[in-house]
Amino acid sequence: MRKLILPVSIIAVILALVLLAPILPLADVRAMDIPHRFAGPSLQHWLGQDEFGRDVLTRLIFGARASLSIAIGSALAAALIGATLGLLGGYFRGLVELVTVRAAEVVLCLPPLLLALLVVTILGAGFWPLILALTLLYTPNYARVVYAATLQVRGLDYVTAQRALGTHPLTIVLRTLLPNVLPPLVVQISLVIASAIVIESGLSFLGLGVVPPTPSWGLMIRSARGAMEQAPMLLVWPSLALAGTILTFNLLCDRLQSVLDPRTVPVGGAIWLRRRGATSPRPSSREARVPRAAGPAGAGAVTDRAATDRSGETKPADLLAIEGLTVALDRPGGVGSGMELVRGVSLALRPGETLALVGESGSGKTLTSLAVTGLLPDVLAVTAGTAAYVRRDGTALDLLAEDEDGHRRLRGDEISMVFQDASAALNPVHRIGDQLAEGILAHRAIGRAEAANEAVALLKRVGIPDPERRARAYPHELSGGQRQRAMIAIAVANRPKLLLADEPTTALDPTIQAQILALIADLKRDNPDMGVVFVTHNLAVVAEIADRVAVMYAGELVEEGPVAEVFARPRHPYTAALIGSVPEGGAERLVAIPGTVPAPGQMPPGCRFAPRCDHAEAICRESEPAEFVPAPGRRTRCLRYEEVT
Amino acid sequence: MTETPLVEADRLSRNFPMRSGLFGRSRDVFAVREVSLTVARGEAVGVVGESGCGKSTLGRMVLGLEAPSAGTIRFEGRDLSGVSGAERRALSRRMQMVFQDPFGSLDPRRSVGAQIADGLRVHHIVPKAGIETEVARLIDVVGLQKSAAKRRPHEFSGGQRQRIAVARALATRPDFIVADEPVSALDVSIQAQVVNLLADLRRDLGLAMLFIAHDLHVVRHLSTRAVVMYLGRIVEEGPSDKVFGAPAHPYTRALMAATPSITARKVDEGHVLAGEMPSPADPPSGCAFRTRCPIASPECAAAVPDLSPFEPGWNVRCIKAGPAHPTGAQP
Amino acid sequence: MLRYIAYRSLLAVFLVWIVVTLVFLMLHLVPGDPAELLLSQGSTAADPQAVANLRERLGLDDPLWLQYAHHIGGLLTGDLGTSFRDGASVTGQIVQRLPRTLEVIVAAALIAAALGVPAGTLAAVRSGGWIDTLISFLSSVALSTPVFVVGSVVILVFAQELRLVPAGGYVPFAVDPARHLLLLMLPAGTVALALWAVIARMTRASVLDVLERDYVRTARAKGLSRVKILRRHVVRNAMIPVLTVLGLEMGTLIGGTVLVEFVFNWPGLSGYLVSAVDARDYPEVVGIVMVISILFVFLNLVVDIVSAVLDPRISLTR
Repeated sequence: MRKLILPVSIIAVILALVLLAPILPLADVRAMDIPHRFAGPSLQHWLGQDEFGRDVLTRLIFGARASLSIAIGSALAAALIGATLGLLGGYFRGLVELVTVRAAEVVLCLPPLLLALLVVTILGAGFWPLILALTLLYTPNYARVVYAATLQVRGLDYVTAQRALGTHPLTIVLRTLLPNVLPPLVVQISLVIASAIVIESGLSFLGLGVVPPTPSWGLMIRSARGAMEQAPMLLVWPSLALAGTILTFNLLCDRLQSVLDPRTVPVGGAIWLRRRGATSPRPSSREARVPRAAGPAGAGAVTDRAATDRSGETKPADLLAIEGLTVALDRPGGVGSGMELVRGVSLALRPGETLALVGESGSGKTLTSLAVTGLLPDVLAVTAGTAAYVRRDGTALDLLAEDEDGHRRLRGDEISMVFQDASAALNPVHRIGDQLAEGILAHRAIGRAEAANEAVALLKRVGIPDPERRARAYPHELSGGQRQRAMIAIAVANRPKLLLADEPTTALDPTIQAQILALIADLKRDNPDMGVVFVTHNLAVVAEIADRVAVMYAGELVEEGPVAEVFARPRHPYTAALIGSVPEGGAERLVAIPGTVPAPGQMPPGCRFAPRCDHAEAICRESEPAEFVPAPGRRTRCLRYEEVT
Repeated sequence: MTETPLVEADRLSRNFPMRSGLFGRSRDVFAVREVSLTVARGEAVGVVGESGCGKSTLGRMVLGLEAPSAGTIRFEGRDLSGVSGAERRALSRRMQMVFQDPFGSLDPRRSVGAQIADGLRVHHIVPKAGIETEVARLIDVVGLQKSAAKRRPHEFSGGQRQRIAVARALATRPDFIVADEPVSALDVSIQAQVVNLLADLRRDLGLAMLFIAHDLHVVRHLSTRAVVMYLGRIVEEGPSDKVFGAPAHPYTRALMAATPSITARKVDEGHVLAGEMPSPADPPSGCAFRTRCPIASPECAAAVPDLSPFEPGWNVRCIKAGPAHPTGAQP
Repeated sequence: MLRYIAYRSLLAVFLVWIVVTLVFLMLHLVPGDPAELLLSQGSTAADPQAVANLRERLGLDDPLWLQYAHHIGGLLTGDLGTSFRDGASVTGQIVQRLPRTLEVIVAAALIAAALGVPAGTLAAVRSGGWIDTLISFLSSVALSTPVFVVGSVVILVFAQELRLVPAGGYVPFAVDPARHLLLLMLPAGTVALALWAVIARMTRASVLDVLERDYVRTARAKGLSRVKILRRHVVRNAMIPVLTVLGLEMGTLIGGTVLVEFVFNWPGLSGYLVSAVDARDYPEVVGIVMVISILFVFLNLVVDIVSAVLDPRISLTR
């Protein structure tokens, strides 16, 4: 709201000047003083005198009277008519829409200035014809804006809910629709006032608007042009007044828009686009290897999990080993900067293994996978941790310390991702085959034709029927399941070592989900060393496809282990409750975890799950639990893991 | 069992004319096709199916939010198509709806209390002076704090909003509630809260419910009778334990096999149903499922099979209806 | 695609019919006798003899359908009637002046697009930086200053004070190409300024929006280079809403051209139009308004077709 102070106060000053003009100690607006024509500024005439020796300042203020009353008057009249038409047309649709919105839109077939000129031709110039012309001109604008907003709101469930309640249609329009279409309407009013001032002054400038001797800015500019050589300032003053007023209304419109609809304000560019070759933004990347959560009750706690977890084993080395990953808001000076969304997450993935990262929204599971690929949103940054990864050529590197260019070389080649919503993740304006081929060409020195052929082969491999034709199709021409298959084809195009799949089946129907899960399993057989991190909220999906599962809660990893063991005997109360909340089996009542996930920044002290936990004791609420190893290959972040069943 | 059902849908259809191209002939696209359904007092009927099967359209038609192209809906034996205007609105007191999206179903600009009170005011459920007390009672019924009434929807989480939506639906003291995917937008642990709430309400208030969902487990948990839809038609209906216990229609079997389970085995690729649901604009001849059916044979293309009794109270639309066919997908 | 173009063209013909009918109805929908209206000057009543003459000339005594038939028929045969003032053929005047107006419109649109898209993209990619602030300030000012003010100030500063350019005028291209282009730049540049601001702002907003899209993240996940991502996945997609806005701005562009031609004495349609309105020469005004409106419909058709080329989703959904 503070943003509105500036434009609103300027407009208030202008309006006050205009309204109070008759009682202000100003010179007579029509008093001529021919001997002093074109006189410069003086004590009596602050801005000088015009070609008839009239006071310029007085004429400016009275000129605003004409311009503003015409603009505001017609903007409001048009708003009233247009909004009514738009609301009725949008809510009732059908025939009503035809006679309201569609009828009004006919006017839009004429360019605005020409419509005004036509009205002036028929009615003659003057104040009322202008109001009429501008009202006629802007009514369809409002009708359109309000109609579009109404359609949008009308489809929302809360309007349907009102209908289901049996509320009278007119009550719904006035009480439910109108308040919700007001924001765009208010923005539109400020926009139309600015635009009406432009048209009014333009017509007056052409000598077809306000009739002299009534002062108007357009007329003043018109007559100043004739006297440009003698008195150039006569042109400057009304120009400034006109542009300044319009600027203020435009500013009001912009500010209103950002206040009423905050979503339209973009977060701010793309840092990855700018930092060409810049150093990693994180100086402390290699320091915080140990998770901070070494609680005092760490009797049986092991913070160096590498020692127990895989000690003495001769299994192949980890494909990816994340240690102490912490992701925080990074908006220097902004609200909540430094707030940690993911804290101290350690994970390891062996070649050929499928690890499921499971958790509810806000658990940090997606951020963990994005951090590894350097795709975190601009406002987030990795503040601690390492992610050891060995490249195909055998070089070891820390993924969390790589800059954009370093990530770029790996992404789509050795490390690839599948995203949740394939219809949004595929570019709607490029053909599927091209989108596939460009990923191949980015990492391999082969010809375009060869890449195109390979793209078709890949589409065939992921089970898309008629791949030659589908390669030439656009994403919207494919079904949801096929789009996700194409997404997967892009991900496996360069035979990655590591595949990160972020909720790849969430938006899909059960039979299609089963197909996609089967496809991923099948592709793993092709490429048995490929490690898969599968991010999901669906425990049943985890049971179907994963070897190991890592459960996340409120930004922390709370339990990890082989799927079958974890599901058979969870060692963290949160995992246990999650399993109990799945409506399978014959339980009369489901296990419902009371309360909600705490918001970042409002994390409770001690164990983050304690406020919702059945097993919590005083100690849980005071100190953060360390990691325990209840059995080989398993970890839990719970003091009382032995009591969990 | 001979008493009039509370809600009875008789051969409901909903089609949309679709024109192909500028001068193309217009063709009818059926979202719902000749669906008959009854809900008895206090009964919970679950409708399952994948997106595009017409289950949501069916729910909206039953409540009168969308007009059927053909067929009738009777409420306590009274044909709703003959009732209009004020009388129709008065009848809406008896049947209410709970929506899927907890963020779209509440007006962001009005307080929670005012929205719950809407139903009370429209139908004069309680005298004006008693509205505040009644709102407080309803908020308590769904397990929220009394202070909730004064707050705006954005101050609540998804699960809490869904409770508010339930409170709003309960305000008119309905006999019948249609719940369209009421938990699918919620997190797992929150889903359980709302599922429990709905189960409690049904038991305590004797509400009849039409419960629409794509999640088999949720439907099985909440409903006594289940209806499975495919491409606008009912393919199987019957008691939940029977339909989900030993499905007789190959589609129901495939749906069960495709739905992952936490107690489950690894994905069994052999039993994954191939292909996708055909476009309703261009349905296959005969049985709509035959293009994906593992046991389809040429005679399936001949005619749309009838929804015929398999056992008393259990109907199946398949000429090969039966439990686990030798080549079927039953695990 | 061809089907889509055919469909849009049919729609354009329909819109032209609506425009023509609307213009015809304007005079007849206003309460009172059209002839008296056209002759009225403020509150003074018109001379009855003059009114009768005008009714005769405009054929107002004919039945409405016949007048309408004359109106449409005249348009179809290219006969827009004769002027009240001098009896000259309206069509002849328009044919002579229309190309000059088109020249200004096309030049302005090209200048605005050529400078607006890069400016908006730069502002978005460097959002929050000084370039962004500068472009956003310039575009706000440009957007808020009416074209005739810009034109007048251009004349004041560049022609009168600095004496860099002439104060307007016209020389046929065949006579002196260089001077023709110089003189064209004045009105075209002036009209382009506001359009530049609209395009720059819209491009900036659109690029920022696209940068947040999932498919840009996919492009990054594929490991494409920055330049490739920007060109293929950001700017290309960002142009679609910019084009839509460009279509909506066509009306303003045409209005601006009318004003600017007047400012710079460019002998396009506008001088003719202004003097015709001033004289309330009804046949002239109607003729010009119809021609410009048809041009307007045509420009929107072009924008629609270009949009469909850029966005494959459009031609399918119509």
